[in-house]
Amino acid sequence: MSDKHDHSHHGHHHDHDHDHDHDHDHDHDHDHPHGHGDEKPAANPPTSLPEDTGTQALAEALQSSFGIVKIAMVVLVIVFLGSGFFKVTPQERAVVLHMGKPSGTGKEVLLQPGLHFAWPYPIDEVVRIPYSQLMQVKSEVGWYQTTPEAESLDQEGPGNPRLNPNGDGYVLSADQNIVHTRATLIYRIDEPVTYQFDFVNASNTVQNDLDNALLYAASRFKVDDILTRDIVRFRDTVRERVNHLVQEQNLGIVIEQCNVQSKPPLFLKSAFDGVLTALSVRDKNHNEALSYQNQVLSKAEAEASGRINTAQADKVRLVESVKAEAQRFTDLLPGFRKNPSLFANVLLTETMGRVLTNVQDKIYIPARADGKTREVRLQLSREPAASANIVPASNH
Amino acid sequence: MKKSPLTLSIAVLLVLVACSLLFCGQVRKSTVVVVTTFGKPTRTITEPGFYAHWPWPINQTYTFDQRIQNFDDKFDQTFTSDSYNLLTMVFVGWKIDDAQAFFPKFANGSVPEAEKKLEGLIRSAKSAVVGKHPLSDFVSTDEKQLKFNEIEKEILTLVQEQVNQKNYGIKLEFLGIKKLGFPEAVTAEVFKRMTSERQVLSSKIQSEGEAEASKIKAAANGKSAEMIANAEAEATAIRGEGQAAAAKSFEVFQEYPELANFLLSLNALDASLKDRATLILDQHSQPYNLFQGYSTNLLNPNSK
Repeated sequence: MSDKHDHSHHGHHHDHDHDHDHDHDHDHDHDHPHGHGDEKPAANPPTSLPEDTGTQALAEALQSSFGIVKIAMVVLVIVFLGSGFFKVTPQERAVVLHMGKPSGTGKEVLLQPGLHFAWPYPIDEVVRIPYSQLMQVKSEVGWYQTTPEAESLDQEGPGNPRLNPNGDGYVLSADQNIVHTRATLIYRIDEPVTYQFDFVNASNTVQNDLDNALLYAASRFKVDDILTRDIVRFRDTVRERVNHLVQEQNLGIVIEQCNVQSKPPLFLKSAFDGVLTALSVRDKNHNEALSYQNQVLSKAEAEASGRINTAQADKVRLVESVKAEAQRFTDLLPGFRKNPSLFANVLLTETMGRVLTNVQDKIYIPARADGKTREVRLQLSREPAASANIVPASNH
Repeated sequence: MKKSPLTLSIAVLLVLVACSLLFCGQVRKSTVVVVTTFGKPTRTITEPGFYAHWPWPINQTYTFDQRIQNFDDKFDQTFTSDSYNLLTMVFVGWKIDDAQAFFPKFANGSVPEAEKKLEGLIRSAKSAVVGKHPLSDFVSTDEKQLKFNEIEKEILTLVQEQVNQKNYGIKLEFLGIKKLGFPEAVTAEVFKRMTSERQVLSSKIQSEGEAEASKIKAAANGKSAEMIANAEAEATAIRGEGQAAAAKSFEVFQEYPELANFLLSLNALDASLKDRATLILDQHSQPYNLFQGYSTNLLNPNSK
């Protein structure tokens, strides 16, 4: 960055030299015809005079051009000093090295955005440092050889049955599986001075840390945790590791974001997909079982409450009917006490009358005159649902 | 030509600039300058700023970067203590710590030369350290067994010891593993193992899933049977309550048990012969006893 500045400064200076030369030539050309005009009328005086006037003209010309040189020098000095002004944009901070030494200590050394002045090199040197803008590094050390086109089109082929260590990158998981994983880290420079002056290539160091963090995290996670079960914790471990390393190395950065992507080896895609299918089948079976459970339980619940309700109703009916019966008994008792046999007969006959009205078939069998028993044959041809009530009338 | 004070001062300034170029030097922040006197290092200037020296050929100055340099070694084979062939690659952050010592060891203090030397040291340190650890120290499901950090530290310490012994003037700031891998042929074996692991896992998931599903179903059936049984028990209890409550009402029947029996029998008769019944009667049953002729003269209120 400092080189760039030197260069631009130098270029500026050079341009001005050029301008100056041009101006000078022009003025000189202009002067010359003028001097020539003076010489012509002065040609008549004696020969000593032309020499005098010649030197005088020359002296005059020299003096005037010297004056121009002076002006040009003043302009040059102004330009030289003016070139010491520089702008710091909001995305950067600058440090002025005065004879190679930062002008100040700590955070004060950082020049805030705005217009600043510094002496030209080699007295002062302006070092610009990116600040507040987000920096990004990618770790591809654990990824297979691919192209962005193939990846976006999902045409990455069947993969190799073996991986060449110099071509395809991968990491080893805790259960000694081969997994591909890559990460993108977004960070902000918090201490521009250390970031710039303590490291030859700080972003390279950050990238190395990210590579290391991926290996470190993979070495303690099982392949299924990395790929599916525990993606978030895996990512957090990577991030924590990077953070730990950059703190230890005093890189002066703050991690803003860490994204990790993992994939099984292309060659084993179908094997890994098989497990995923098995998982989804298991989930489906599980859900089916749960819905069966719901169905059975709600049915059982309905059945149970039905039975209880029926019992409740039965209870009420029994109690009520017995109450009614008791009431009837109490009502009938006085009459019955008066003439029990008559009362009984009346009630029996009344009931028989009602019963016989309701009964579908009535068969009357008078006793034989000779007193012998009679044989009765019944042909019952009703549907089995209704049980036939056969009540042989007992002898009264 | 007349000598104006301005011209004079300019001339003096120019001479001063020329002298300063000859006699002065600058130490930029994060660099260090070694001054040699007739080719021998005599002075090291670490503090940034301005310094004076004799012009060439008495003094000569060399500037060294003191910032941390990155260096990655080769991804090469090492053997673990349980004879796994493990490919490892490390990265190092190193810097020139003692420029005066560093300078004569490598041709004009060249960083690439130093890195070549470092590479050799790292390679031997790496294989020595890796050879002391089993593979389970690098990757393990048991976090307590992992010695990832320890391995990195051991390599760093070993390299630093060597560097110190040879007085290279180099300090290793950090060292980390950057890449781990198996030789190509081994990856094929790993793939085979992984494939069979996947198959085992698939069938395990499948059978586990089925077992779990049938367990849920069986539990549901059991629960349902239990719920119905409980409900039945409750229903019986409720009916019992009803009967107990009814029994209280029965107490009134004690007054005339014959009448009570008679009435209940009548009720039962009534209820049992509601419809679709066939009744076979003889002449003794009321009211058909009328057909026999007796008791007609006594009363005849029950006309059919």
